[in-house]
Amino acid sequence: MERETIFDRERYREEEMPYELWLCSFPNMGNRQVRKLVELCGSAEAVYYAGMDRWRQALTEEQAQKLKGFTEAWRPRQEYERLAAENIGLVTLADGCYPERLRQIPDAPYGLFYRGTLPGEEPAVAVVGARDCSQYGSFVARRLGELLGRSGITVVSGLARGVDGISQRAALEAGGRSWGVLGCGVDVCYPKQNRELYEKLPGQGCLLSSYPPGTQALARNFPPRNRIVSGLADAVVVVEAREKSGTLITVDMALDQGREVYAVPGRITDRLSDGCNRLIRQGASPLLNPEELVEALGQVPRRGVQTKPAAPGARQGRRSRENAGSGERAERPGLPPELAAVYQALDLCPRSVAQIREGLPERFREISLSACLIRLCVEGMAVQISPGHFCVRGTGPE
Amino acid sequence: MFSTICSGALWGVRAYLVAVEVDIARGLPSFSMVGSLSCEARESRERVSVALKNAGFDLPPNRVTVNLSPGDRRKEGTAFDLAIGVGMLASLSYFSPDAVKDTLFLGELGLNGEVKRARGVLPIVREAARKGIRQCIVPQENAAEGAVIPGIMVRGASHICQVLNFLRAKESEREEILPLCRQDLESLLDREDGRGAPDFDEVNGQESARRAAEIAAAGFHNLLMAGPPGAGKSMIAKRIPGILPRLTAEECLETTSVASVAGLTGEGAALVTKRPFQSPHPAVSLAAMVGGGTVPKPGVISLAHRGVLFLDELPEFRREVLDSLRQPLEEHRVTVSRTGGSITYPSDFMLVCAMNPCPCGYFPDRNRCRCTETQVRKYLSRVSGPILDRIDLCVELQPVDITGLGGKRGEESAAIRKRVLLARERQIRRFAGTACRFNADIAAADIDRYCALGGKEKACMERLYRSLHLSARAYHRLLKVARTIADLAGEDRIGEEHLMEAAFYRPVQEYWS
Repeated sequence: MERETIFDRERYREEEMPYELWLCSFPNMGNRQVRKLVELCGSAEAVYYAGMDRWRQALTEEQAQKLKGFTEAWRPRQEYERLAAENIGLVTLADGCYPERLRQIPDAPYGLFYRGTLPGEEPAVAVVGARDCSQYGSFVARRLGELLGRSGITVVSGLARGVDGISQRAALEAGGRSWGVLGCGVDVCYPKQNRELYEKLPGQGCLLSSYPPGTQALARNFPPRNRIVSGLADAVVVVEAREKSGTLITVDMALDQGREVYAVPGRITDRLSDGCNRLIRQGASPLLNPEELVEALGQVPRRGVQTKPAAPGARQGRRSRENAGSGERAERPGLPPELAAVYQALDLCPRSVAQIREGLPERFREISLSACLIRLCVEGMAVQISPGHFCVRGTGPE
Repeated sequence: MFSTICSGALWGVRAYLVAVEVDIARGLPSFSMVGSLSCEARESRERVSVALKNAGFDLPPNRVTVNLSPGDRRKEGTAFDLAIGVGMLASLSYFSPDAVKDTLFLGELGLNGEVKRARGVLPIVREAARKGIRQCIVPQENAAEGAVIPGIMVRGASHICQVLNFLRAKESEREEILPLCRQDLESLLDREDGRGAPDFDEVNGQESARRAAEIAAAGFHNLLMAGPPGAGKSMIAKRIPGILPRLTAEECLETTSVASVAGLTGEGAALVTKRPFQSPHPAVSLAAMVGGGTVPKPGVISLAHRGVLFLDELPEFRREVLDSLRQPLEEHRVTVSRTGGSITYPSDFMLVCAMNPCPCGYFPDRNRCRCTETQVRKYLSRVSGPILDRIDLCVELQPVDITGLGGKRGEESAAIRKRVLLARERQIRRFAGTACRFNADIAAADIDRYCALGGKEKACMERLYRSLHLSARAYHRLLKVARTIADLAGEDRIGEEHLMEAAFYRPVQEYWS
């Protein structure tokens, strides 16, 4: 029985795949139309040989004409061999290897290009959020990615700047797995800052895209990508989002797909948390403790030692932390009282020197703040993120 | 008949004496001028002959030849008019040739015979004194400017008839016709000191920026201020000259020379008695910034010599303009080469820059700033590395809230200046007999000598170096700033606190790259 399946699959690969590739590479056709064509004809190969009349049943005249021109210039076998040479795989709804969770969502993408190991049945969580996240956002994203990675839960995200990339990177660094869904071809690295992550992902997970290789990153490609991000995951966590954020599109889609949505609560004064707080009001679960999320997915949360301790001084303070998600700061023994006071006045969000001074107890109001702040930076407890703004060192050295 | 009159011309901020030779002979009536003259210098013949006619002199129809010697140096400007006019009168024997001996004449003539303002009076009078000239007759408007030079008599004239009367008069009556102009530079500088300068007490809050300005003023360090619009960046910059020590006599001569060459003296103020404050528009051209012209005139950076060059909206400046500041910032002078030759002008200024941290101005306050990371990076990267490399102090200003506006007033300029002066005195003592003047000038090789650290401080510096990812250049800069902070505190040794505070004001590398 088993041998037969393997045989079937190989034969399928040999014979059907070049046509699947042809079908998935035609750019001027929506996902619904692709699926309709395949339904009408039975298989991709059948679509290829069906000709204009059958195509017209699913496509407009203009599209059919374009497809005709496209087909004439296309050499299915050669193109397929080229794809294989570039180490890019293609999986379609007709294939048994198609990620099962994604298959279940409404209007699942017909074909997926990938590099790496195809997503299987393992638990996965999508971590999404603002690209220009705050220190708080990057801290939470990093802690979350780390915990998920260590607990055997795959982090699904869009490889974007900010929350996406930070959580994925943290998962990989913790030895975990991650799937990155791109809004461009899988052979295109976007954004460029995340090249290292882009190169690491195929080895520790997978790069996926519904767009044919070579497709450039266009704004309109991203909403459909978000659909795949949530579709691949069991749950979606929103780390930081403004009131009107693209991340909220992912949330809408996740709800359509029946995924559990978690939002990381923030302060009402932070514009970057407005989106999350609103989600909570609308019924999303507030993510108060990342371990609960791991447990909810049936895994054992493994905290382990920090892979990248902030600094020798800071480690002591962090070790006693029970609540792994929060950025609370423990008292550090041996710190002069004025430094301790300044440290307490700091926050994960950047604060200006004037704000820090305001936050100091009365008796320390007149101290020389600049020297104290630099001392904390040297101790690895604070970061000077701009000439006049400081925050607590939330993450390891970046 | 032939006569020779002494005058002067400029070559950069240096001057040289010009012998104006006038020959009036019989022949076909004509007026020719030779001596490598520019267009405006050549036009002198029309001005002079008409001025003399209108002043009531009857010029016979003769052949007039004027030569300005040395003949191989290009001469510009209109200041030879008076000398040429006097030369013609001398050739026509209106007075004895002895009357113009050892006397230098300078000034432009109007068609009615009046003597008008001239460029470069100070450097020319200075050169004349050096060459042993006894007295100078200059335009009335510029007399005070020339009078600061000791060892030479300077008289201001407003009409050519006055000059003639003076030359024809007996020695005893001369003083009455053109009185000697006297100027005591030191007392003038003392009198002018701090007058009309805006005061720091008008700046509310912004403790870091105020402190940074104080440190910058004490050590003549370059300063960069970042902050949202309306936070008071320009306000602070404009108040920096007021907390700098007053100009010394020597500095006054230097700055006045540059201003004089640029033609900026004489209008209301004969001398530059206050620290210059130059604030060019971001669209300023390269030539306006460093100097230009066929025979190059001083640019903004030279006019800011011994004072403050304030670049508001730093990222809006053209890259080539900013890059042109590199040589002057390093060498304190600038060399401009043109077809007319290459000229070196002094440009020892304190660079004060201001900028918004991002296109909207509110970064890193993410609640207000909606610029994307890329936009912010792109904006910040418009400030070129070489300029950033020469910034000693970097400070951020906070948006002013409404309570801050009505709050208690800040410290007065006078109080800040007192501390700055003490720090300056320590520096004068430290650098006595060397080319160094301020802590900012300390060369890398001398760092160990002037910024010596104790064992504890060395360890501290090492920790700073490692944890803040300093470059070697940043390391040196930090030490120099720490030296100034220690000077402000009246300490001989640089302490840990001083190093920490200096580190606070370093340009944060991660922020800029």
